[in-house]
Amino acid sequence: MASIVSPEELAQKRIFLVLATPGNIRQRNIDLIREISDLGYHTVVITANFPYSILSKLYGEQGIDMTKVSFIDAVTRNSIGNAEEIPGIVRFINNPANLTDLGIAVTEILKERSGQKVCILFDSISTLLIYLSSPNISKFIHFVTNKLRLMDISGIFLATEKGLDPMLMTQLTTFVDTVIDTG
Amino acid sequence: MTNREGPGCIEAGILENALAMIAVMDKSGTILAWNQAAEKITGYSKDEVIGKTTIWKKLYPKKGYRDTVTQRIATILTTKKYFENFETIITTRSGVSRIILWNTRESPNTSGSVIVTVGQDITRLRELDMFRDSVIENANVLIAVMESEGTIAVWNKAAEEITGYSRTEAVGSRAVWRHLYPDPEYRRTVTRQITEIISTKSYFTNFETRIRTKTGESRVISWNTRQIGKDSQQYAIAIGRDITEQKKAEEALLAYMTEMAMRIKQPVEIVRDNLEDIAQLIRNGKISPDEVAMLLDAQVRNTAQIASNVQEFQKAILEKNTDIPEAYRKFLEG
Repeated sequence: MASIVSPEELAQKRIFLVLATPGNIRQRNIDLIREISDLGYHTVVITANFPYSILSKLYGEQGIDMTKVSFIDAVTRNSIGNAEEIPGIVRFINNPANLTDLGIAVTEILKERSGQKVCILFDSISTLLIYLSSPNISKFIHFVTNKLRLMDISGIFLATEKGLDPMLMTQLTTFVDTVIDTG
Repeated sequence: MTNREGPGCIEAGILENALAMIAVMDKSGTILAWNQAAEKITGYSKDEVIGKTTIWKKLYPKKGYRDTVTQRIATILTTKKYFENFETIITTRSGVSRIILWNTRESPNTSGSVIVTVGQDITRLRELDMFRDSVIENANVLIAVMESEGTIAVWNKAAEEITGYSRTEAVGSRAVWRHLYPDPEYRRTVTRQITEIISTKSYFTNFETRIRTKTGESRVISWNTRQIGKDSQQYAIAIGRDITEQKKAEEALLAYMTEMAMRIKQPVEIVRDNLEDIAQLIRNGKISPDEVAMLLDAQVRNTAQIASNVQEFQKAILEKNTDIPEAYRKFLEG
């Protein structure tokens, strides 16, 4: 199967916006992790949709090396109220709308992984729209993409296709290097 | 009427039955003839007027105004022996004011010469003029009447208010257009578009442009034009409606609708897809009851947030629309 993101572009520390249909988005997440892991990258998954415990199980079942994946989980604490962080594996954010905590977690985890081949996978912009207005999302993505560029790290933002209004889509397109519509 | 016989009878008949008031005077201002129209307009009969000079005092009872009229007549007569289209306001017998447009001619007579004065009652015409001017002046749309080449002839109050350029600044030249469209590129585009429209039809409707006011503000104007006047003197009347606020409201509504679609429709679809995934995971026996509960909890949180978003949108609608009926208002307030 052809790769979703090109290894060359990934090596150039490019930032991607990957679009998928709602029915395919979970599979795209898994496909991307596999691709990135196979290329020797450590993936930091920022999940606002499924909790870390479920995702790690799904990834494991798909044969993904879980030593190459860590998480920023914005779901678990929001659902069950409490969860213990596992250093190097998962950090929890109380609420997906808490962009300050999310920003701090991204900054800290990238510092921890400084010098490594790291890629951020953000799943997903669409889910974040439940909790945040599009201007706030736009500001946050701008903040994260700036951070990635400063730290010379690749990033992938997942979103459902046709789910973003033209204004937000235009803004996101200007923040990233490549938009890939996977269908 | 003068007592004339023979061929003069025809002239006398015309004079008598003319629709305009006609007064024939000798050099001293004594009335020699006073037709029916003069009687009708002024309310003074021939018997009261003929052979006397007193009628003018009656028609201009206020001394100040009478002196002004006399002075103006004297000024005109210093250069020529007649006057044309000289406008005065007379007071009729019943005390009503009428606007009369006077034209005089000196006419030869058996006893020397007489002055024939024709007075046209233009009161109604002037009232219509005033009404039209008032409509133009008080319309809440920008009205500009242009002569050929775009020179402004009329610039109403709304035009002053919308653009910030006064009548004095606008009328008599076309410079105001340059001020309203200061960007040469945009001005060229607008001019080209207007030319294209005008080439196929002599007017345009709902043509939108963005003007820059004197204070530097940007306003969106919807223009409608018509050609008026006849062959020799053509005018174009441009009516501009300031639709800036309407445009802002439309843009806000569009932004609101798209935001609503993104933050309600799509999230509901996400929750639906998540629930499908959860069902599949349960069927495949891949998750424990605790994990099922956690996943469902997450979807409960998502739906609670979506409900909160809907409430937020309803609140925004209520704030923006004060004319929503009370029953609906209460319902939307939840």
